Amino acid sequence: MAKVLIAETSYLVRRGLINLLEHTEGVTELRAAGHAETIMQTLKEFSPDILLLNSAVAIPVSHEELISRLPDKARIIYIINTPLPEDSPAYQISIFDTKNRLSEKLSIHLQHYKQKQTEKEETEELTPREKLILKHVALGLTNKEIAAKLYISTHTVISHRKNITRKLDIKTVSGLTVYAILNGIIKMEDIA
Amino acid sequence: MHIHSNMKMSDLVKADFELLAVLQRLKIPFGFKDKSIQAVCREEGIDLNFFLSLAKWFHERDFFPGETLMNHPVKWLVKYLRSTHSCYIDYQIPRIESEIVLIENTDQSSSRNMKLMLNFFREYINEFTTHIELEEKTIFPYILQLEENLAKEQPDSDFLKKIRNYTIRDFLGEHSDIEEKLTDLRNILLKYLAPPSDNCLFTNVLIEIFRLGNDLRDHTILEENVLIPQVINLEKQFHKKFPQE
Repeated sequence: MAKVLIAETSYLVRRGLINLLEHTEGVTELRAAGHAETIMQTLKEFSPDILLLNSAVAIPVSHEELISRLPDKARIIYIINTPLPEDSPAYQISIFDTKNRLSEKLSIHLQHYKQKQTEKEETEELTPREKLILKHVALGLTNKEIAAKLYISTHTVISHRKNITRKLDIKTVSGLTVYAILNGIIKMEDIA
Repeated sequence: MHIHSNMKMSDLVKADFELLAVLQRLKIPFGFKDKSIQAVCREEGIDLNFFLSLAKWFHERDFFPGETLMNHPVKWLVKYLRSTHSCYIDYQIPRIESEIVLIENTDQSSSRNMKLMLNFFREYINEFTTHIELEEKTIFPYILQLEENLAKEQPDSDFLKKIRNYTIRDFLGEHSDIEEKLTDLRNILLKYLAPPSDNCLFTNVLIEIFRLGNDLRDHTILEENVLIPQVINLEKQFHKKFPQE
């Protein structure tokens, strides 16, 4: 799961890359910029994991400086305006590359961000603790009341609730209540 | 498709039928014959650029024509938003409600769950109606009066009293997120409910909830990025033209 910034002056190349990356697995967010100024600005606001940078763009900073402005483990892939040899490294793509070749090279980079995420997202089941919190939320207790009841801090309750919402994709209390009833965590009569 | 003024209105709709919603909300009647977009707009008294900006946005989704839309009288946007409201309240929402009722009645195995969903949806309808009433009864009339009074030599004294103590920014605070509950409903139906026996009906409810959700998002974008900035601007002009003594 990587955020990608395309830094490319040519409209055609930019559109082409956007099109390709929109249909590529592992790209979560995509931005594109054409001028050195907007590139630097977007870099700051967006902090991409992968920067696709045309080597002909006059960036006001050196390669090392650029790296230091990106998040940890971020990568720069250079877009080269001339054809590249067969054995060119994966951090260089050419505007002459075929779709397959581009996809191949890009997927090498994207893979690194994919693995990290799968480990984290594997357990979407609620933990027993989260189920207990959910039960109290569904019964209409406030965060403060839940904290007092379970001898934990309000901060901990809030953090559990954030995780519950993220795992279930349900934000509102009424929504959580419906989920709790559907899954037998509370009974319909309990909230009457 | 490139949308332009000489294109036939019927071709526009054929190319992207979702644009019917825009036509409906601008109260453009059907029966276009071979009339162009330009001709239809002229007949209906709708500004061509206003129509084109909206249609392009709905169709292309590429850029948001905030500034173009802001260059038009605010009452047009209010008219548009008002017909959107009545579309939700009079048609889309009752329809979803009655479809959930239908599932509840036909599907014995899941009727208890559907009852639960129905209660949830009705709770949502209440919240939604309150939100819309606030806009219809308070916000929109204020905006229309603001535009009218700004054009006058001397503003109405009643309105003057009102605007000295009120700004649209107050409303921003109350502009609660009306999409959240609907998104929850959608996710529960999609992810956590046992598959019902009448799949066709159930799928249709889901499609309609998705549509309504997207539509609400557009509605919020228009309000927050065009309507409110435009009104803030009008308020500034008003206070400049009629400074407080």
